[in-house]
Amino acid sequence: MANLGTFLLLASFVLCAYAAVASVVGARRGSRRLIESGIGGLYLVAALMAVATVVIINAFLTDDFSIRYVAQESETLQPFWYKITAYWGGLNGSIMFWVFLLSVFGSIAVFVNRERHRELIPYVVATISTVEAFFLYLMVVHKNPFSTYLTAAPMDGTGLNPLLQNYWMAIHPPSLYTGFVGMTIPFAFGLAALITGNLDDSWLRAVRRWTMFAWLFLSFGLMLGMIWAYEVLAWGGYWGWDPVENAAVLPWFTATAFLHSVMVQERRSMLRVWNVTLVIVTFFLTIFGTFMTRSGVVQSVHAFGDDPILAKLFTGFMVAILTFSFGLVIYRLPLLKARNELDSWMSREAAFLLNNWILLFSAMFVLFGTMFPTLSEAVTGERLTVAGPFFNKWMTPVGLILLMLTGIGPLLAWRRSTTKNLVEQFLWPVVTGLAAGTVAMLFKIPLWSAGLCFALCGFVVGTIGQEFWRGTVIRRKNTGTDFLTALVGLVGRNKRRYGGYIVHVGIVLIFFGFAGNARKLDEQAHLKVGQDVKIGKYTIRNNGVKVSDDGQKQMTTAYLSVFVNGEQIDGLYPARWAYRHHEQEPTTEVAMRRTPAEDLYAVLGGFDLADQSATLQLVVNPLVNWIWFGFGVLALGTGIALLPERALAFAVAKMPAEAATTTVALLLIVLIGGARPASAQQGMGGTEDTRASFYARTPFEKQMQHEIVCTCGACGHQNLAECRKDNCSTSHQMRGELAAMIDQGKNHDEIIQAFMAKYGGEEMLGAPIDKGFNRLAWLIPYLVGAVSAVAVGFAAVKWTRKIEPQAANAATVDAALDERIDDELRDLD
Amino acid sequence: MAHRNIKIAVTAVVLASAFGFMMWTTLRDGAEYFKHVDEVVAQRSSLEGKKIQMHGYVIPGSRLTKPNTLEWRFKVQNNPIRSGEPGQVMSVSYTGIVPDTFKDEAEVVLKGELTKDGGFHTDPNGVIAKCPSKYEAAAGGAPSGS
Repeated sequence: MANLGTFLLLASFVLCAYAAVASVVGARRGSRRLIESGIGGLYLVAALMAVATVVIINAFLTDDFSIRYVAQESETLQPFWYKITAYWGGLNGSIMFWVFLLSVFGSIAVFVNRERHRELIPYVVATISTVEAFFLYLMVVHKNPFSTYLTAAPMDGTGLNPLLQNYWMAIHPPSLYTGFVGMTIPFAFGLAALITGNLDDSWLRAVRRWTMFAWLFLSFGLMLGMIWAYEVLAWGGYWGWDPVENAAVLPWFTATAFLHSVMVQERRSMLRVWNVTLVIVTFFLTIFGTFMTRSGVVQSVHAFGDDPILAKLFTGFMVAILTFSFGLVIYRLPLLKARNELDSWMSREAAFLLNNWILLFSAMFVLFGTMFPTLSEAVTGERLTVAGPFFNKWMTPVGLILLMLTGIGPLLAWRRSTTKNLVEQFLWPVVTGLAAGTVAMLFKIPLWSAGLCFALCGFVVGTIGQEFWRGTVIRRKNTGTDFLTALVGLVGRNKRRYGGYIVHVGIVLIFFGFAGNARKLDEQAHLKVGQDVKIGKYTIRNNGVKVSDDGQKQMTTAYLSVFVNGEQIDGLYPARWAYRHHEQEPTTEVAMRRTPAEDLYAVLGGFDLADQSATLQLVVNPLVNWIWFGFGVLALGTGIALLPERALAFAVAKMPAEAATTTVALLLIVLIGGARPASAQQGMGGTEDTRASFYARTPFEKQMQHEIVCTCGACGHQNLAECRKDNCSTSHQMRGELAAMIDQGKNHDEIIQAFMAKYGGEEMLGAPIDKGFNRLAWLIPYLVGAVSAVAVGFAAVKWTRKIEPQAANAATVDAALDERIDDELRDLD
Repeated sequence: MAHRNIKIAVTAVVLASAFGFMMWTTLRDGAEYFKHVDEVVAQRSSLEGKKIQMHGYVIPGSRLTKPNTLEWRFKVQNNPIRSGEPGQVMSVSYTGIVPDTFKDEAEVVLKGELTKDGGFHTDPNGVIAKCPSKYEAAAGGAPSGS
């Protein structure tokens, strides 16, 4: 199989080279056949890479340790899922995964655009093929994932590190790669536009969606990395300005800038050089980030080992990208001349320009800080580094300015705003901003920087609310429908704009969460049994440390009670797990009490079984969950902006008013239904495998485990002895509490009383309630969610179809309507 | 036109100098020396009182913690013991919780400063042990870069 894999990579490399050459020659000679064969080559590479992917995944699943890479990243006992994710777990495989994604994305982009952008396609194919060829070359000569052992193959692999065998870590890299690789498509189109000189705005239309799509995955990947750091690395934070994190955030800055400046070009035909530059820089930064984290150029505790050969190859490639791309930009400068000039600084394009500069500055600054050790060594011979505080000092004001611009931009008119406009537009947002600031003051939050951040959050929310409100009111007046229909219609008519506003709401929520850092508390304590420590409003008591063993690992768990105002509100069970064969590297299992207001975060740093004392790190992280929620809203907004033109068309065209209202109601149900599993997931942090937790030690404990029902809601109301199938941390926790109570010598009734007091009513009692209808009750949210999803789908399809016959009619009506709305919105859009 | 160019130039100069000044001052506060143990030992006198990030490897068996406290004492050396040339040794003190990856022979970066008695004092939360990278083969201590 290894030979087949190597052959596939070689064949792909040759094909890429052919596709690149054939496309360019075909375009220059005007040979349709050559161009088509180039396109065919690109598709074929995607097919070959798909087969190669199947081959390597198959090798992982069949434990083919004759392949070096498989032996390094997997072992026989590795769970099925982690055998698959091991594909992109190591350097060689990640490069292959990269090429695979690029070949698929490239083929889709070419397939979709091959008629519309006929003149660009040959060069798009050539660019994509060249990038693919580079990565394939890396694999063929240096990093072949299919290379085998010359000597006898090992009996078993070394396996993935336990810390990386984690749900978040499994989905974080593919998401990030999708974002990174997706940025190649805009670059390819940009380059094609430069080469052919077709520098009107048509190439922008082809890549707008791709950039949004890639940006969404990049954002998502960043968030997953943050969650992983927060829940698994157990240091109480989520972002540390580490080179690896920085590498991922660099292209995010420039891509965000591009998504904004592209609007200026569409509307005012300005910033054309700028846009091309941003696309090139974004692509360059994705390659640079890959280079930085894999070649050992940057010294970091996360650096992936030195590899001078890889560093040289990458450096050559990056120099080639920069020279070629910017050479083309300079060559095409006459064609890239802007058709308009900035009329006034009080205009939306000026706000966008400022936003772009700041985002580009952020990227350059982070790049500078990340490369500072290398730079300082080159210049002074002394290796100096900068750490988190330095980044924070600079990025806090930069972030706040960006947040402010998020609120200001939409309030300014294109071209120029009059003073009257400004007063009318800014009044309410400023009021909400001041109100939010005042509330922050009342909570004694320092003005710099959290207080200001809260005020700006209020300001931006005011702006967005006003935009939605005014748009809906006008649309309602014009169409005479109810409010909800008007709102849906408004969003449907201009998905990009209003989707963008929803993204802004997500950004506000993320900043809101960041601002919580101002009140972060961090405490380290050594507690003997029965001792207390106070952190914030909480008092934490150590009830003892116990060891249990499930055959796979030894678990040392600290039993902590959490008190507020003298009343026990919760228990926390931070643990350290020592896996078999990895006894020397125990994993830390964080225990968290999550609330919207703050997380209480407990880490078991050390313990002494002799006196059951525990060394704890306790952190109170205010508002941190709003960051994850904000990312969800951001994804929703991007999704709306990405919807195809015809989606939501039913709400835009003439139709019964009630229909839209119903749709919205149904959509809400779906969203709430969808939110349920998400919130259930949140409780799972820290506990990985609870199948084997707390087996009953005595018949009494066994009896109790059967009497008490797990309240997590995910297991269909099983009792504590049964609920072990999934990652149910609730049952794990409840079993732990039960064990603790039994250890305290409580009897049957006392335990039942305690559980009823804590989990409320009889819900958790097995016998009376766990029957027929009640089981159904657990299912209802999911059923409703599924049914409404189907209903909405049907409705959408039906209404969308209905419009077809009267499309012409609807279009004329719409055009007139559009005109009016546009007038009334004061040429906002 | 000339007038406009002058305005742009002046703005650019003012912004650039303000920016440069801020960068310089913050860098002076924020920069830390990144040194290996050998370098720290050799340049001891010039590094005293400065913020340092010291890179080294934990000497197996040197990690001691005082019972019922968060106090740690351990030794680091320039190269891993298996390399055959371990290089200079430095004693380190630290108070706080250590990461999971902090163990014998771990590659660590310690943030802190030199003490008068010739040791190294680590700041709170200043122990960073090498993240177990997916991109490295750790097969039986075989060198990476496969």
